[in-house]
Amino acid sequence: MHLLLDTVFVRTPSVLLDIGVTSGMPLKQITKLCKIAQKTGLNHAWIGEDLAASHDVFTVSSLVLLKFSAINVGIGITSPLVRNITTIARASASLAEIGGDQRFRLGLGIGGLHDLRTMGISVRYPTNLMRNSVALLQRTWKNETISFKNENFAIEGYRARYDTSYRIRVFFGVRGQRLLRLAGEIADGVILSGPKTYLKKAISLVKDSLKRNAHSSRDFKFVVWVPTILAESPKDLNLVRQIVAFVLVDTPRQVLEMAGLDYEQVERIKEVYQRQGMKKASELVTEGLTDEAAIHGNPKKILEAFGTIEKLGVHEVVFGPPYGVDPEKAVMKVSEEWKRFS
Amino acid sequence: MEKILLKFGLGVNVNEKALEAARKSLEAERLGIDFVWVSDVPNGLYAPIVASAIAAKTKKIRIGLGLISPFLHTPAQIANCLQTLYEAYGERFELCIGPGDRSQLRRVGINLSQQIGITAHLLNAKKQIRKILRRNRVKVRIWLGAQGPKLLEASRLFNGVLLNLAHPKLIEWAINKVGPVKNDAFEFGVYAPSYVYRDFDPNIYKLLRASAAVVALGTHKTILERLNLTEEIAKANRRLDAGSSFSSVLAGIPRRTVELFSIFKSSSEIEQYLLEISKMKIKHMVFSYPQNHSEKTVKELATALKDHKRKHA
Repeated sequence: MHLLLDTVFVRTPSVLLDIGVTSGMPLKQITKLCKIAQKTGLNHAWIGEDLAASHDVFTVSSLVLLKFSAINVGIGITSPLVRNITTIARASASLAEIGGDQRFRLGLGIGGLHDLRTMGISVRYPTNLMRNSVALLQRTWKNETISFKNENFAIEGYRARYDTSYRIRVFFGVRGQRLLRLAGEIADGVILSGPKTYLKKAISLVKDSLKRNAHSSRDFKFVVWVPTILAESPKDLNLVRQIVAFVLVDTPRQVLEMAGLDYEQVERIKEVYQRQGMKKASELVTEGLTDEAAIHGNPKKILEAFGTIEKLGVHEVVFGPPYGVDPEKAVMKVSEEWKRFS
Repeated sequence: MEKILLKFGLGVNVNEKALEAARKSLEAERLGIDFVWVSDVPNGLYAPIVASAIAAKTKKIRIGLGLISPFLHTPAQIANCLQTLYEAYGERFELCIGPGDRSQLRRVGINLSQQIGITAHLLNAKKQIRKILRRNRVKVRIWLGAQGPKLLEASRLFNGVLLNLAHPKLIEWAINKVGPVKNDAFEFGVYAPSYVYRDFDPNIYKLLRASAAVVALGTHKTILERLNLTEEIAKANRRLDAGSSFSSVLAGIPRRTVELFSIFKSSSEIEQYLLEISKMKIKHMVFSYPQNHSEKTVKELATALKDHKRKHA
């Protein structure tokens, strides 16, 4: 079950290390973490959209682009179900302009199941939605006049009047098999998250799709974003278990099956989570589940895990929340360790 | 000399580069302009990002986000933009919501003609935005961008109204439609395409004529009736809907729309205009595109306004 962590990391990783933050985090914390990321030479900041939060993901991205010139920025992810596709197109173009030099990437996905349910949004034909969204974005950025109507879109004679000359790379943040295949067909990269066994299978699926579609795999980027926690003492494991419980609640059945996880066991955790909260649910999280669904340990162990992920053909790993009991200290420690080895 | 407390703003063009808009805003700040307003239109740059770029480049100029439409963005999304800007750059922001340009919104799938209860929707959006911002201790004035009688009346429930009109007679009519306002801090403002010049440039005049025509094409039917423009504007809108080019349609739009819907004055004439509108309770005057066409046009405006401020300080 623990395929990825069985190998020992013995060499310097060539995989790039990114920082992951979410729009729900306090701006001061985002700024501090990005400052550490820039100082320690990390590659990229991915900003996840927290729909329940009080910050706008595009505006947060603009702050990071304007304040930290040495790191690239990506939205990871936003959904065409929560914003007009033309708004996503122009917000991305605005970020591409202020960032300059291809520093911006757009992560696109369906969105978290829990968030969408809360907003009363149901998802029908997600593959079509994503295919059409990418086509509309690309046509907008080619400055075409667009008319397109179906159950998700009603664009009629629309043409951008802003500068559309920037190359914007679109990454898919998706999990299902059909969407993963679609990523290999039309995206510039994929941001993967989920249990480690699932990641291995998902990467293999995307690679097959890349081959089948004669996609230039040289330019395609695999990014892995798994909850990472600096845990140096046994009590830090409580945080790890809580995060794993939180993550499993939003993990679709298809992903659990691909990961070979006991669906009934995860369902029990979900039930307790919904009735009694994260802390109580975390008591049901086993060591096997924490090893599958999170990266945790001291800096050396975390780097080993990143190195093992690299062997699957991954180009970038994201050190994302919750980082550790003290987030800034955790990011500093892991980044410094990373800098030392790279 | 009579004391006048007009505040002046510059409208930002969201079809030019964000960093270019930020550079011109810095110049406006240096020249003593009080505000820049960044409107959010479906075919332009994303206004909150342009506002962010301006705020990063400038220090004290106040930044208005709007007009932004709650028919295109949810109230939570609009509030989140303000919250982010406020936390990052401080208490320098204002918000103006309104229905938005009907023709532009229709192109992205939002048909205001089929929308029932536009006024109620805007009032509800204001309530939700205010609730979120209050919860997060964000202090922002919320303006309503209004033209028609219903919205003008509803604007009393906002912190101010920005009138998308320019001719003093139309402004007077609109102020009367708003009626008595209980809130002492309520402000009347004018937001109009402008060209205030010292050295006249016919090319910028052409841009002004086009901008005034755009306002006319979206003008409320009550106003068009008053101005006896209903048929000509309806015809122009039908031609646009049928796919005619804007330049060919523009030729059929009466030239008097420039006088009615835009501010076209030399630097010596603007003083008289400002005196006239300031007598009508107007406190906030926004000179929008093409006034921000270049640093030169921004400077020509700022110099004229400086003269006015000096006389009436």
